[in-house]
Amino acid sequence: MNEVKYIGEHLWVGQIGHFLIITAFVAAVISAISYFISVQSKVNTSEDGWSKIGRNAYFVHGFSVLTIIGLIFYAMYHHMYEYSYVFDHVSPDLPLKYILSAFWEGQEGSFMLWMFWHIILGFILIKKSGKLEAPLLFTFAVAEAILMTMLLGIHIPWGEETIKIGSNPTTLLRQMNEAPIFANADYLSLIKGRGMNPLLQNYWMTIHPPTLFLGFASTIVPFAYAFAGLWQNEHKDWLKPAFGWSLFSAGILGTGILMGSLWAYVALSFGGYWAWDPVENASLVPWITLVAGLHVHLIAKNTGYGTRSVYFYYLISFVLILYSTFLTRSGVLGDTSAHAFTEMGLEWQLIILVGFFFVAGMGFWAYRWKSIPSPAKEEPLYAREFWMFIGSLILLFSAILITGSTSLPVYNKILTFFDPGYVGKVIKDVIPHFNKYQLWIAVFVSILSSKAIFLRYHGVNWEQKKNKFALKMLILLGASIVLTYITTFWIKLYSWQYVVMCITGYFAVIANIDYVVSVLKWNVKLASSAIAHFGFGMMVIGILASGLNQKSISSNPFVFKGMFTDEDIEKYVQLIKGKPLFSQGYFITYESDTLIGQERRYSINFKKLNDSLRVLDEITLHPNAVYSNDFSKVAAYNPDTKHYIHKDIFTCVVGLPPALESVEKAHAIEDSLKFVARQVAINDTVVMGNFIIKPLSVNFKPTNLDYNKNIHDTGIGVLLEVTDIKNDTSYQVESAIGLDGALMYSYPAAIDELGVRIKLEESLLNAYFTPEEQLEYKEYVMKIGSNINIDGYKISLAEFDKNPTHKNYKKEEGDIAIGAKLNIEGNGVIDTSTSLYIIRNNQPMSIKNYSGTTGLHIRFSNIDPAKEEFTFKIARDKRESPELNLGIATDVPRTDYLILQATIFPGINLFWLGSILMMVGLFIASWLRFSKND
Amino acid sequence: MNRNIIISFILIAVGVLVFSSVSKDVSTYASFKDAENGERVKIVGQLSKDKPMEYDPQNKPNEFSFFMKDDKGVETKVVLSKPKPQDFEMSEQIVVTGVLSDGVFEANEILMKCPSKYKDEEIAIRNQEG
Repeated sequence: MNEVKYIGEHLWVGQIGHFLIITAFVAAVISAISYFISVQSKVNTSEDGWSKIGRNAYFVHGFSVLTIIGLIFYAMYHHMYEYSYVFDHVSPDLPLKYILSAFWEGQEGSFMLWMFWHIILGFILIKKSGKLEAPLLFTFAVAEAILMTMLLGIHIPWGEETIKIGSNPTTLLRQMNEAPIFANADYLSLIKGRGMNPLLQNYWMTIHPPTLFLGFASTIVPFAYAFAGLWQNEHKDWLKPAFGWSLFSAGILGTGILMGSLWAYVALSFGGYWAWDPVENASLVPWITLVAGLHVHLIAKNTGYGTRSVYFYYLISFVLILYSTFLTRSGVLGDTSAHAFTEMGLEWQLIILVGFFFVAGMGFWAYRWKSIPSPAKEEPLYAREFWMFIGSLILLFSAILITGSTSLPVYNKILTFFDPGYVGKVIKDVIPHFNKYQLWIAVFVSILSSKAIFLRYHGVNWEQKKNKFALKMLILLGASIVLTYITTFWIKLYSWQYVVMCITGYFAVIANIDYVVSVLKWNVKLASSAIAHFGFGMMVIGILASGLNQKSISSNPFVFKGMFTDEDIEKYVQLIKGKPLFSQGYFITYESDTLIGQERRYSINFKKLNDSLRVLDEITLHPNAVYSNDFSKVAAYNPDTKHYIHKDIFTCVVGLPPALESVEKAHAIEDSLKFVARQVAINDTVVMGNFIIKPLSVNFKPTNLDYNKNIHDTGIGVLLEVTDIKNDTSYQVESAIGLDGALMYSYPAAIDELGVRIKLEESLLNAYFTPEEQLEYKEYVMKIGSNINIDGYKISLAEFDKNPTHKNYKKEEGDIAIGAKLNIEGNGVIDTSTSLYIIRNNQPMSIKNYSGTTGLHIRFSNIDPAKEEFTFKIARDKRESPELNLGIATDVPRTDYLILQATIFPGINLFWLGSILMMVGLFIASWLRFSKND
Repeated sequence: MNRNIIISFILIAVGVLVFSSVSKDVSTYASFKDAENGERVKIVGQLSKDKPMEYDPQNKPNEFSFFMKDDKGVETKVVLSKPKPQDFEMSEQIVVTGVLSDGVFEANEILMKCPSKYKDEEIAIRNQEG
């Protein structure tokens, strides 16, 4: 076989990349081993020899990974499509601002993003953690080494099959695929990248993944501290320095999750902010266990109770992060998730990653169980730590429930492995299933997060305080019930469970306000937990308002009663352009749409009326449809939302006429139309079924909306009057033809209301435009200012242009070109025409100009410099007014409508504000810990 | 210690209760035959591409009907109470949730597994002009 010598490839990028991937892997392994020996030797200083080797190896690893990331960016920036990863994620039309998103769109890129954060966090810990450096960084190095295997891209033959270890992001396209195109040495000039999914081309894709992956990566810090504690059998020392990190980790992971749900709500057509999708659950669960861990961490620091639980929560949180990676990347979720997955064939590697840290963490925990200190005396019932501990158990319970249900596809896979005939199980109605149980979690967490803060550690001074405490709880409960009652005037709570949830939500809100006012006396530095708990209560109320009370304002007039539940029918509605629809107190009008780049942007007007039909509020929203990169079909619909303080109005187009949805369907519809040919003269009529069609006039400047005068030499439009006998309505529309050289474009007149489409037959052109060979030119000699008259058109020679431009003229070196500008006036038309006289290589030539509106063909044929006389040859189209040939189609599907979903989300800002406050509380607490430590 | 035992006992009791009630939310992927008892079920199958699909967005934007063959090979008409999903014709596998009544499966939820739009495409060849 001949080796092909390829043209234009930049092989050095891949060669360096490959070398660095192996270096990074080996360095991480060396770093792990060195740190391991350092810890085992119990020298316990950061200056021993093995620690130094470990640290330097970690630096080598870090800089190698950073360089690989840089190289891939370089290849993406320069559109090196010889690389498979570049080819898959970049295209020539990809705006530069999305190059970051394109980088982490793929699995390899997102693994590198994750490693990037591990490396940064590792560097910080090397600097800050003192004598804990070796055990902490050991965990980092091991995690990095295992993650690095995901990029190795080694294929080991194993009997008949090949074992694939990792996927190298610097693999060449021609190594990944076998295609005939690679027989061509110059294949690079023939290909262009596939580019990014248009759905992901927005700023959310730029900010959400790095935040979420920082959240993922940061959970290794509490894990590493816990692991170091177990390893060195030192169960107290690490609690202090780790706390700030755990708070930070919970804050940033929560922020990442929130960004994802905000993205889903404002930019994707999910129509909500949380759907209990496996992908969402997978990252929520580790956040819940981490928050549970934070609470027992506080107990352990302040009282010495619960150290065993701290270990458990921190170890399991990181393992759950790894498990979420397995769920989302292995393809095991299959058809249970709405998110798109790409399989990399790394299932076993991911299982090893999860299994390794699970076994190592939990195994060590069990092994050290006895030596972890645990006070023998029970904490009293009225001690803060007891209720915090209960709270963390409830969070754990929530995590187990969510994981249990989300993992159904995993059990199915395992059981099918042992019993191939096993039929998998699945949750029937996902959202109600989760809501039903998590409702009670929210109730208990709300109660505990407000009650426990008033209690004191060890129950100090309980006897003196208990009456005051009981009274306070009663007052708060009473106030919550009153507030809930008031709330029912705004939102419906439907069942007693939701009433309880609402009361406890208010309980958390006011109890935490009261705590800040009466106990902390506005000392904001101590208020971080109160802020977070207040936020939680607010979020609970926000969920009740926006989730339970969301209301569709798009309701469907064409309903098959009894067939479906009301909820389904009312979700979507068909809107016809310009025809207002009255629904739920709103007039909804589809006003217009415009095509901007790849987006078709709609203007949907909402008018809210009161009983006396006065307009109370008017808004226009612009949801859009994004076409695929090749414009062949709609790739995605994006919503648009009007945000009020107390509610949101959310709109999303969910469907378009088939002709607008894809080119293929448009062609199919076009082909299925039956045009009937009819001949009719101007002002004569033709009857087709219920319609009377009457051509009114012919003009040469078509006004048909689709007709683009910039691309056509000339065009012809026929104004038609179509009358619907049945409804006695008539419409005036224009059907047009455009000419571009020898190409003819037809722009039929369409009346969507009647389902009528009328096109002009080609034969019409011959009647109005005379071919060149049949034109009868006459010679006219003119001077500046003189004029002649042809068929009622007064033509005068206005001026000359030394640098003339003309569609059919391309300037060449040495040309002498003169343009003669003629003014034409008459028969109600004013036009100008510039004809060219050119001397090229001593040969005179002329370039004709054609005035479509007047039908005049004008050639500038000679110049007599002595007499200042100029000769023109002019001819005119024979414009008889014969019968027009029309093609008429009826029963045409209309193209002027869309299907809309419009939903009101009351109180959704309470949800956002509440959840943001939770994160703010975590960040404040974290910041206070870090600033205290220094 | 006593209290911890009580707490764990309560937790286990609640856990058992919850998990036994969870089993009601769970079903196996059913076939059209299983749906004959009128229960709400999830069915996996494939689109019958030779049978007609009906969608009239102009008059019934929330009703889309098609024929689907389940894994046992039984073919039934499905009426979905939603607009026709994008790229429906390209689906490799369909999961519908709903109720069988009078021989028609009335579904209000659908999930499709499509060949990934961006991964399985042929390597794009640039136009001669471009």
